[in-house]
Amino acid sequence: MSKYVERFNTRERVLHWFVTVTFFTQLLSGLGLFSRLFVGYLDLFGGGQGAIMVHKYAGILFLASSLLLFLNHRKEISTLDDDDRVWLSKLGGYLSRDTYEENNGKFNAGQKLFGIFMGASTVILGITGFVIWFPVLLPRSLVQVSLLVHGLIFVLFIMFVIVHIYLATIGNPGTLDGMLWGRVSRIWARKHHVKWYKEITGQEKAS
Amino acid sequence: MAESRMGFLIDTSRCIACRSCQVACKQWNKLEADTTANHGSYENPGDLTPNLYNRIRFIEKADGGSMKWLFMNERCVHCGDAGCMKVCPAPGALYRTNEGFIVHNKEKCIACKYCVSACPFGVPRYGADDKVSKCHLCYDRLGVGKPPACAKACPTQTLQYGPRNGLIAKVKAAKKTVYGEADLSGLGVLYVLDDKPEVYGLPANPSIPTAIFLWKDVVKPLGILGFWGSIAAVLFHYVTTGPKQIEEENQKTGGDRHE
Ligand code: HEM
Ligand code: SF4
Ligand code: SF4
Ligand code: SF4
Repeated sequence: MSKYVERFNTRERVLHWFVTVTFFTQLLSGLGLFSRLFVGYLDLFGGGQGAIMVHKYAGILFLASSLLLFLNHRKEISTLDDDDRVWLSKLGGYLSRDTYEENNGKFNAGQKLFGIFMGASTVILGITGFVIWFPVLLPRSLVQVSLLVHGLIFVLFIMFVIVHIYLATIGNPGTLDGMLWGRVSRIWARKHHVKWYKEITGQEKAS
Repeated sequence: MAESRMGFLIDTSRCIACRSCQVACKQWNKLEADTTANHGSYENPGDLTPNLYNRIRFIEKADGGSMKWLFMNERCVHCGDAGCMKVCPAPGALYRTNEGFIVHNKEKCIACKYCVSACPFGVPRYGADDKVSKCHLCYDRLGVGKPPACAKACPTQTLQYGPRNGLIAKVKAAKKTVYGEADLSGLGVLYVLDDKPEVYGLPANPSIPTAIFLWKDVVKPLGILGFWGSIAAVLFHYVTTGPKQIEEENQKTGGDRHE
């Protein structure tokens, strides 16, 4: 028996990394517009006008790919069951060294909520982004609110992404494998997503 | 702002709507003529444009049975606390001169147009070059000791340039009220109005738009704090609680050890 089980197929992995690249393109090109503290980042794109142009067109790619990613996982993340509620009440066991027996499906409650947050934020960034694309044509108050909301979601997005990256790498060793090569070790799967593991292996009890 | 702050006074009661100021500004700044359309008023053009830094607004007011005209020179009012500067991401695109006025530099402007949304008076305009333009209070004339071109051309002394405190004192001595003395840390361009500000299309209490204030003075600083806070939080978690190791379970189940 192989030590590994498949978690994400090639299509899913390519899409995930495509979203990642466009996200960081948006992040880096938006940073210099957000605050003068980061004005140097505009030079990465040959100055402010270059950064704005990249931000607009990469924004369309981000919007499309991130929405697709959300829609692909929509079914897996849109409902919370009792085990998810336990996970939430224990905050995934992250606040203590004592492990608890997690009983998660393919995604735990935290991942589900992050997925929903990403989907909603992508849509909001897309809508407000298109509004501030045409500041002279659209009503002033709409553009003003859009600048505020775009900036607010930007901030929340980065904060959640920092936590997402931490938990997917050094915070949970073995997790990154799934997104890099598509497979995770059986031990990892039994520890983090036992319900999912039983499902895909057809086992009643993890051996 | 400093004692030495200069000011520009517009005493609307003196204005005869000759529009010398419009022409003088165009001439000094070498601005193209705009093609305009008649919109049922002597007012022309009907709005500020990228080629028109100031203009006379004609306000028609019912006065008993007849009609009364109010004239008002519209332009950038050079706010002490300027929304345009608060949001501008490009250093040097908008800057304050020693006199206290706000000048734009098209070479540095990155055409984001945030200043359009942030100006309480709806002043900045964009031309075919997509760069900001507005009244710069003739910084290039003041620098060589000349008065602003529009003020020099004004035949009725509606437009006056001088030390800001002096202008205010003069208006008060004449028992008139000044618009813009304290709003937004004091406007560089002050008005004497014959009627309520709203009648002239000026906000009664000008302030930075609320959404812009929240964006730049709340979300921005808290966001930067949140960014570093998140990084600090995950690092703290890593060295205190630590990662969820999978080896541990290995030993418990005593099973197959995978590297
Ligand atoms: C979903 C697609 C997106 C679109 C269509 C979009 C569009 C825009 C546009 C048109 C602007 C104004 C640029 C300008 O003319 O100055 C802007 C600003 C900005 N964008 Fe985006 N954007 C998107 C996603 C993102 C993402 C994912 C991030 C961050 C990770 C981001 C961060 C920013 C920031 C920081 C600004 C500066 C304005 C502010 O502070 O609110 N955007 N965006
Ligand atoms: S009136 Fe508008 S453009 Fe002029 S200084 Fe004030 S905020 Fe800036
Ligand atoms: S359009 Fe130009 S002047 Fe206005 S905020 Fe953007 S960079 Fe600054
Ligand atoms: S001060 Fe100079 S730039 Fe401003 S309206 Fe008068 S002539 Fe034009």
